[in-house]
Amino acid sequence: MRKLLRHETILAVLVVLALIVLASQSDKFFTLDNILNQGRLMTEVGLIAVIMTFVIVTGGIDLSVGSILGLVAILIGVFWKNMGLPLPMAIGLGLVVGTFAGFINGIIITRFRVPPLIATLGTLALYRGIAEGISEARSVRGYPDWFFVLGQGQVLGVPTQLWLFGIVAVIAAIVLGYTTWGRATYAIGSNETAARFSGLRVDWIKIAIYSSSGFAAALAAAIFVSRVSTTRSDMGAGVELDAITAVVLGGTSIFGGRGTIVGTVLGLILIQALKNGLSLAGVKSDGTIVLIGAVLILTILISNLFHRNGNR
Amino acid sequence: MTAEDAPPFRARRSGLARLFSAYGQEIVIACAILVLFAVVSTINPRFLGANNLNTIVSGNAYIAVAAIGMSMIIITGHIDVSVGALIGVLATISGTLAVSGYPIWFAWIAPVFVGMAVNAVVGVLVAYGRIPSIVVTLGMLSILRGGLVSVTGGAWINNLPPEYQLAQQRLFDIPAPVWFMILFTVLAALWMRHSAFGRSLYAIGGNAEAARAAGIPIERRTVQVFMIHGAIAGLATVLFATQLKIIQSTVPPNLELTIITASVIGGVSILGGTGTVIGSTLAAILFSTIGAAMIFINVSPYWLRAVIGLLILITVLVDMARRNREMRMARR
Amino acid sequence: MTALVKLEGLSKSFAGIRVLKDVDFDVQPGEVHALLGENGAGKSTLIKIIAGVHAPDGGVIRIGNEELKAITPHEAAKGGIATVYQELLLFPELTVAENVFLGHAPKTRLRTLDWSQMRRRARQLLDSLDSPDLDVDVKVGTLSVANRQRVEIAKALSQDAKVLIMDEPTAALADADVRRLMTVIKRLRERGVGIIYVSHKLPEIFELADRVTVLRDGALIGTRAIGDVTEQSLVAMMVGREIGQLFPKPEPQVGETLLKVSNLSFGDRVRDISFELKRGEILGVAGLVGSGRTELALTIFGITPATSGTIEIEGRAVTISTPKQARNLGIAYVPEDRGLQGLVKPMTIGQNISMAALHRITNGIFINFKAEAQRAADAISQLGIRARGPEQVVGQLSGGNQQKVVLGKWLETEPRILIMDEPTRGIDVGAKAEIHALMGRLAQKGMAILMISSELPEVLGMSDRVLVLHGGRLVTTIDRAHANPESVGAAMTRATLAQEAA
Repeated sequence: MRKLLRHETILAVLVVLALIVLASQSDKFFTLDNILNQGRLMTEVGLIAVIMTFVIVTGGIDLSVGSILGLVAILIGVFWKNMGLPLPMAIGLGLVVGTFAGFINGIIITRFRVPPLIATLGTLALYRGIAEGISEARSVRGYPDWFFVLGQGQVLGVPTQLWLFGIVAVIAAIVLGYTTWGRATYAIGSNETAARFSGLRVDWIKIAIYSSSGFAAALAAAIFVSRVSTTRSDMGAGVELDAITAVVLGGTSIFGGRGTIVGTVLGLILIQALKNGLSLAGVKSDGTIVLIGAVLILTILISNLFHRNGNR
Repeated sequence: MTAEDAPPFRARRSGLARLFSAYGQEIVIACAILVLFAVVSTINPRFLGANNLNTIVSGNAYIAVAAIGMSMIIITGHIDVSVGALIGVLATISGTLAVSGYPIWFAWIAPVFVGMAVNAVVGVLVAYGRIPSIVVTLGMLSILRGGLVSVTGGAWINNLPPEYQLAQQRLFDIPAPVWFMILFTVLAALWMRHSAFGRSLYAIGGNAEAARAAGIPIERRTVQVFMIHGAIAGLATVLFATQLKIIQSTVPPNLELTIITASVIGGVSILGGTGTVIGSTLAAILFSTIGAAMIFINVSPYWLRAVIGLLILITVLVDMARRNREMRMARR
Repeated sequence: MTALVKLEGLSKSFAGIRVLKDVDFDVQPGEVHALLGENGAGKSTLIKIIAGVHAPDGGVIRIGNEELKAITPHEAAKGGIATVYQELLLFPELTVAENVFLGHAPKTRLRTLDWSQMRRRARQLLDSLDSPDLDVDVKVGTLSVANRQRVEIAKALSQDAKVLIMDEPTAALADADVRRLMTVIKRLRERGVGIIYVSHKLPEIFELADRVTVLRDGALIGTRAIGDVTEQSLVAMMVGREIGQLFPKPEPQVGETLLKVSNLSFGDRVRDISFELKRGEILGVAGLVGSGRTELALTIFGITPATSGTIEIEGRAVTISTPKQARNLGIAYVPEDRGLQGLVKPMTIGQNISMAALHRITNGIFINFKAEAQRAADAISQLGIRARGPEQVVGQLSGGNQQKVVLGKWLETEPRILIMDEPTRGIDVGAKAEIHALMGRLAQKGMAILMISSELPEVLGMSDRVLVLHGGRLVTTIDRAHANPESVGAAMTRATLAQEAA
């Protein structure tokens, strides 16, 4: 455990440093309003990244999450507006479809032994394609006011979706760190054959993880729609790369077997803090993206230098 | 026992059988293109018009060219998710040079060298920094995409000199991009098959440990193949940037995934060590054919990506089934 | 005649353990020199020094007239030394011709690869290896193990190898392929190639070798002409004591039948096998590689579920289609490939030991880390695992201690039936004896043990009865009183003869 925490320590120091520097650049940075608002913006990628941590720890990857997000966003609109279902039911159905989309990923990967990168590359195109086909470039608007509580409202002074993110992150951290499922996840990522020979239900666990990934993307879709008050089929494009960046920045090995939820959350905070702090300091948002890319490469490079066999 | 063990006589397989064993995936895709043409043109004869054919192939030629470099990367056992962003950056550089009064040839050639330089950095980080290529290129994707927009501010480049429009030239009534696509594909295919360098890429991707034992300098080769890929991305950029009268500071969304998909559908295994550049070019042509065909048979263009996605999945599943069967045979 | 390669006073240590002590060895042109010794005797280290993989700590290597302290793989290749490794180093997606010439392919004047010459010369080489049926244009990945091996040999010859090192070349071959390999080796010898032949299969050595060198615990025991030794004297040289004394086996208390397997089959790998395993009994399984030994274990353990036949445990018929079901029925499997199938090396000893019995240290959801550490500490002391503690990463342990961790993992599940596949492969003599002693104690406590081993002394020393398999079938069952190298060996080979006659 001590060894696993080393990358997180580096990252935590980096986060603190970034916060100090950024706070000195702008008075607005450390205001409660600003911090809570940043949390709001972080949630959608955050939900996906937390489950993506599990996926990557098993040695897999899920590129289809952005497309699932787009598909579910469209479906919520279509179920509600075009099919006349009550909105809560439309959202519920959307979550079911998202989970099912993740389940299909899991089946393709475990039953047909397709490498996860390829499988989810295919479903990335397929799910986005279905979203486009259904929406035909129309957007859905005019949601009832109560729905915006999810993406724009507050509970006890904290943005609603931040509560959701907090709950998901804590549950995920507990599952990954303290339960048999978490242990099995690490074992699969380090040596799938040995895990199978030890009587662990490898395929079942992988399917469950990819299904959860679909569920997280669907939940993010509902929040996204509520936050921006509209539905479009191109929602969530590229979110998979943002989520993977956060996870890898958080110290999860892209080869599997290593990684923590704490690390992923730190990675998310660092990214969001850089984006926000720099924009408050007058740097354009695109400039901050450059910095995030550089930070990603440098962090992994430094981490590799710290323990020579970084690939393991 | 495998079939090779059985016959007591000198078993030499016919040239045709050999061709099929070596280029199975390529032949399948070529047939798919032909069948598509046959079916669609019976439904709508205008589909076969020469102009139409040209449009179909030439618009996506830059994807086919970029997929050549991507195939080399994947064959070596790596991946590059930053190539789409790179093409965007290179297009803007090329266009800026063209409107700033530099010679046109310089605007055409500059992307090749800049692409090579950028990917040299990627290659060094992968080979000597020991960072997985997906991580490096993920970071590079952010750097290039963010850098481009923050420099240009999202402005488009107008007033491109007419002689800059290389992609609109024609030779024997065939658009230049098509010629370039064929030329680069043939050159790359010959080079991958007949040079020691090309074969060493297959060796590294297939079994890095054994490649090292055979005396192949893996780190140097890795840097080199990334640089070549960067240069080819530069060539693709010229085809992409010179087809319109303006250059936007964005590229089609998910361009890198489209390019990777062309490579993979063309038979390049994501696990490395196998595939050809001919396959990826054919796959790129197949994509554009499907796109055009759906318009001609009045399928909603909104469903285009769904169909392509389904196609990718089916190809992958068939390929995996074939691979698993081969492996079972080999274990006997 | 001068030796092709001559080693004098060679020594080598790894992490303070001397694996080679002052060893002399040489190969003459046109001879097959067999290298013999138990696992851990130092054979692999010796051939890796000749191949340039390891540098010796002391001693001299002579290649021809050159005298060297150590050689690199490149110098070895230049000196005409080529190795055919157990794990074949080929490129599955390249063709046969390319694999043969990778790294030194013929070039045209334009510096491009000369494909036609490459294919022609590969063809000639394979023809000269008595393999005219092997197509030079197919991908190596589609070939059988035997054919891949021929490609490796052709690759060695394409570099004008004068010394060919063959490390257990027949380990993964079926009998017909073994015969064919023998022919090839004899042909190479006629051409003046010196062959270092590592094997533990005595019949092969008597058929092929001109001289034989025996190593034991890293020391040279002797080099003899093949005419001066018998099987018994070779075994005595290898083991250094009488076989019976090596295996301290307590008097068995065999009870009632625990596992009854009837007409069990899995495809064509396991065919129609029936046997009974009793409480307190150690049942040995002997057979050549490819005889279906491991496949039988995998089928009972649910990795490759049976395609037909029945399994009964304590008289109740059971279906086993996953390892989890097998575990819940009280079956444990200590697998053949420790690194791949047995352990998760980046994880700690504690995490590995609890892996198959997580349900015992949880309340359904949460892992009780205290209990996990306690159980791991208990296992470490009971099994005598030499480690810093439960927190140590398994990959850092020696082979013998790793094997004890695998064993500890399965003992945590409190199995009734313990299947051990090559329980002492690749571990040192001390740890070997400890594991044998432990097996004896477990059997005395009433556990039923099915032990698969390719080491005949182990099978004979430990087993109460021996099952002999061949070609996926059960050939015969021999009880302890009648089991000796001749009877078991004969059962393994008689089947061979019978089949060839058929």
